[in-house]
Amino acid sequence: MESATYPSCFSCELRPDRIFCDLPADALQAFDAIKSVSLFPRGATLFAEGRQPRGIFVLCDGRAKLSICSDNGKRLMLRIAGPGEVLGLSSTLAGKPYEITAEALDASQVVFVKRKDLLRFLRDHREACLQVVHLLSGDLHTAYERVRSIGLTRTRRPRAPRPRV
Amino acid sequence: MLSPYGLDIIESCFTCKLRADRIFCDLPAAALQSFEAIKYATAYPKGAVLFVEGQAPRGIFVLCKGRVKLSISSSDGKTLILKIAEPGEVLGLSATVSGKPYELTAETIDPCQVNFVKREDFLRFLREHSDACFRVAEQLSDKYNAACHEIRSLGLSHSAAEKLAKLLLEWSSKNGEAQKQEPRLKLALTHEEIAQMIGTSRETVTRLFADLKKRQIVQAKGSTLLIRNKAALKQLASS
Repeated sequence: MESATYPSCFSCELRPDRIFCDLPADALQAFDAIKSVSLFPRGATLFAEGRQPRGIFVLCDGRAKLSICSDNGKRLMLRIAGPGEVLGLSSTLAGKPYEITAEALDASQVVFVKRKDLLRFLRDHREACLQVVHLLSGDLHTAYERVRSIGLTRTRRPRAPRPRV
Repeated sequence: MLSPYGLDIIESCFTCKLRADRIFCDLPAAALQSFEAIKYATAYPKGAVLFVEGQAPRGIFVLCKGRVKLSISSSDGKTLILKIAEPGEVLGLSATVSGKPYELTAETIDPCQVNFVKREDFLRFLREHSDACFRVAEQLSDKYNAACHEIRSLGLSHSAAEKLAKLLLEWSSKNGEAQKQEPRLKLALTHEEIAQMIGTSRETVTRLFADLKKRQIVQAKGSTLLIRNKAALKQLASS
């Protein structure tokens, strides 16, 4: 599934618009060295909930469906991730199993970085680490929004007002 | 020394004995030194509100002692308790980093010592100390995982009974009680608060507890709960 040559992030025209990718030159150089680029067909699973974290996935193009699953197989869609997003970040940093399942919705180009390499990269490059902190804060915000919408909205229709006698 | 609310205030992080065990606090000496310079050690009584959701972020709160209730509420006044934060946690982190309003409300449930750091100071501190930045990333990851967990339990559970059983099992797995045949746990929350944790009404929680007791699955002694039949509780949790 992997392409033979890894296109460099330096030649990517979309880079300046993306929170994570817009790194200073030296950090980008280091990132280029540890990344691998893969092409995933539509419907492929990038990572599955409950698996040990292998690393992070940066969506270069294409979209991915993020969902969460219960023990008895019920599935809840969380959201659709768009190009430029970093997936699997929190689990990779915490070293805990992936919390969600990510599945490619389109044929996607994805940059993969191994956990060990990522941790070293973040320690060496302060800007990248700050970027990651920002990304995680954003993720957390959307997660709390989701908790609010699930936990606090009434699912039942309000009862019809009782006729006054 | 006279201490407020019966708390022993730890003024300096260097003398804090608990520092080594805590993810965020265990910083290298240089970073700790600059953290010392920007933090304010404060004490709060029980029931104080540290920040309210929707407020513009003032800064972060490092919880040194005591516990804090984190909740979100809807515009019609319903409340959902997300978690009870334990000492060592950093509160208000994501809002402070991103500059968006606080997304939770934090209220103390014990007398607490809290170290407050102003937003500008904290952001500068993060830029200067990459170790601290890494710690923050770890804390945020933990919080994100917890939020996913919450989404799963709220969005994918069938009934209130299932959610209550899951909550009791989760609580009973703490403090080394997990291995025991009949784990014991201390109910620190009222029925009302438990209802707010699992998104149901106080009446339902009381009814469910009565039902669990009647079926001899749990036994209550004051605020201590003894789980008599763990298998049955697990069955309920996965139904």
